Amino acid sequence: MNLSATIRGVVYRFGSVKEVLAKANPPKSGDDLAGVSAREPVERVAARAVLADLTLAELRQHPVVPYEVDELTRLVEHSLDAAAYDAVKHLSVGQFREWLLDTRTDGPTMRAVAPGLTPEMAAATCKLMSNMDLMVVGAKAQVVVRANNTLGLPGRLSSRLQPNHPTDDVDGILYSAREGLSYGCGDAVIGVNPATDTPESTAQILTRLHDLRVRNAIPTQHCVLSHVTVQMKALDLGCPMDLMFQSLAGSEKANKAFGISVGLIDEAYDKMRRLTSNRGPNVMYFETGQGSALSSDAHHGADQVTMEARCYGFARRYKPFLVNTVVGFIGPEYLEDGPQITRAGLEDHFMGKLLGLPMGCDACFTYHARMSQDELETLKVLLGAAGCTYLMSLPVGDDIMLNYQSTSFHDIPSVRGLLGKRAAPEFDAWLCERGILDGDKPGERFGDPTVLQ
Amino acid sequence: MSFTRTMVQDLRVRLAGADPLPPPPPVPEIPLPPARVFPSPKRRSPFAAAAARHTTALVGIGHVGTRYATDVVLQFQAELAVAHGAVHTELPEDWAEKNGLLPLQSRVREHREFLLRPDLGRRLDEPSVARLRERGRKGVDIQPILADGLSAVACMGAGRELLDSFVKSCEARGFSVGTPVCARFARVWLEDEIGEVVGAKVAAILLGERPGLGTGDGLSAYLVYDPKVGRTDGNRNMMSNIHARGVPPEQAGKRLAALAGAMLTQRTSGVPLDLAPLRGELGDAVGGGYRAPDPRVRLVSVGEPK
Repeated sequence: MNLSATIRGVVYRFGSVKEVLAKANPPKSGDDLAGVSAREPVERVAARAVLADLTLAELRQHPVVPYEVDELTRLVEHSLDAAAYDAVKHLSVGQFREWLLDTRTDGPTMRAVAPGLTPEMAAATCKLMSNMDLMVVGAKAQVVVRANNTLGLPGRLSSRLQPNHPTDDVDGILYSAREGLSYGCGDAVIGVNPATDTPESTAQILTRLHDLRVRNAIPTQHCVLSHVTVQMKALDLGCPMDLMFQSLAGSEKANKAFGISVGLIDEAYDKMRRLTSNRGPNVMYFETGQGSALSSDAHHGADQVTMEARCYGFARRYKPFLVNTVVGFIGPEYLEDGPQITRAGLEDHFMGKLLGLPMGCDACFTYHARMSQDELETLKVLLGAAGCTYLMSLPVGDDIMLNYQSTSFHDIPSVRGLLGKRAAPEFDAWLCERGILDGDKPGERFGDPTVLQ
Repeated sequence: MSFTRTMVQDLRVRLAGADPLPPPPPVPEIPLPPARVFPSPKRRSPFAAAAARHTTALVGIGHVGTRYATDVVLQFQAELAVAHGAVHTELPEDWAEKNGLLPLQSRVREHREFLLRPDLGRRLDEPSVARLRERGRKGVDIQPILADGLSAVACMGAGRELLDSFVKSCEARGFSVGTPVCARFARVWLEDEIGEVVGAKVAAILLGERPGLGTGDGLSAYLVYDPKVGRTDGNRNMMSNIHARGVPPEQAGKRLAALAGAMLTQRTSGVPLDLAPLRGELGDAVGGGYRAPDPRVRLVSVGEPK
């Protein structure tokens, strides 16, 4: 295995695959904070040259967190599909990039190979790709999932409706939910981040959202994003729950900081499959985001893109209905500005899709990151064009509980209109039936929340 | 005729006949005035009015095509500008001394570094350690710290009022209080080192919180028992949303003193601290009870106030 490259007579030597992966990354403030990034631009290209020449088999042999100390590494190794892996293991990362870009490699083929890829392979390929490369391959990928409706079909762009409230006033939550539905939002899920993390409060919000859904015959799902252990207790209380949520991180140690493990999520998944109120088969919802491992000092010296990919290696075990990266929420010490947040959104979408997940993105910024509203709107269009499964949606994009800026109710029909996309088919038919849409145009009741009871 | 033109002409004949290309579409006639006006609703829709009793989310705002009306855009931009302005305002170097507080600074040297290096914002620079050793009162019950955090605007706004209320309430309870300090470029965990240097039983940092849309004036407070470098978030108790529309500073200071008192009595803080005995004194700070939402302030009006 070669770990050196020469550029203009200067030899660049790297100590490990992990170091090559980190230094091949485009600039990210989080990699600087971790002290793993390339020292200068030419060294970054040298690392990419070395990476392009490594084979996928060599990446499998060198996971960034050792097998012995990490249950996620063991999970990926034990669950890797041998036939899918054999089909691509001989390719170098550079050749794999070219195979993905080849127009003859279509979405179903990529989906077939996905179970044979490790997260490190997805991360490595990502580092050799420009933003437009990431979009071209992302847009080809097809990951179709089903709960009460069907997500991920070609020509579709879905959205999570996020009617958060700083004190969990359920009436306030429902006002936001009705407003969002009247703009055609909410086909991925109506999902609330609760202010209070208790089983009773979770069950109460779920029950009221369920009533709204049944009363108006809306073909979608609902979810309250409390900790998974809290949701398990809420299930015991007997409340309806269409999707079960948890935030994931990319190492055993980082997941421990989240209060979870593979064993716990196995247990939650098993319980949810028995007790869910959705028609299935997909019942889980996961969120991720670059930088979460470093924030709990559990990155094992690896870069944040690779650690992010490892979250997807964890998530795919549970055939989730939704996975999204919350790309700009973590703050400027991990993603400093508009270009870094934009790049991370496209990277995460690409890696998730490549690994076979129905990948969405919370394109967002906190008010101390250097990203403008115009840059954020641009990112939403890029993600839509890249085939992103779903975006978020909030009133004016303003999360009044978590205090950050995301996608707005108005952005979803705008991006759909620009790109000729529509909501999930079942939901789209409901929108037309209620007069919210008239074909692919806003209908008479568009933006009129009183259309919902 | 040039070679290219001949080639193109041949191609057209072969592919589609030699008919001339259609002309570009004509510019349509100017629409008869008046073009449509989209009036801003004078009163909120009944839906928006009903929603406002339960949420500050901007709902019932209507749309133009699939986008916002102009007044919604301007309100949004004003709120965003307020938040960005708060983040990017720096605490002047002489602010602490002008306010009679002992000035301290973290290891951060400039504002961008402050945003990118939380690790440096959690430790004091060497001159500050020396100054604190020399001038700070030692072995106290409570060490109060005012700091910029992510909003120097909030610190300079209600910071003094909160600090004074907290110190006064602590003294009224008979606690010994350390020399009030003010830290620049400070993160929450800076309280650990400050408390450790003076040997305080409880350190309390009061600092500007990360601004939300339209709000740059909120303060948060974090208290830790037995402060030492290496404490984590699980060791702390916090109160957020301290501003005129949330928990008013005067009231917050009293509640924080009660919280500090519980730490001194129970000799712990964070997750192990039992808040149940304090429920009456802490009020909203430990949750529970309905509170109508703060009204969203309309920020933009054209012309000058009368």
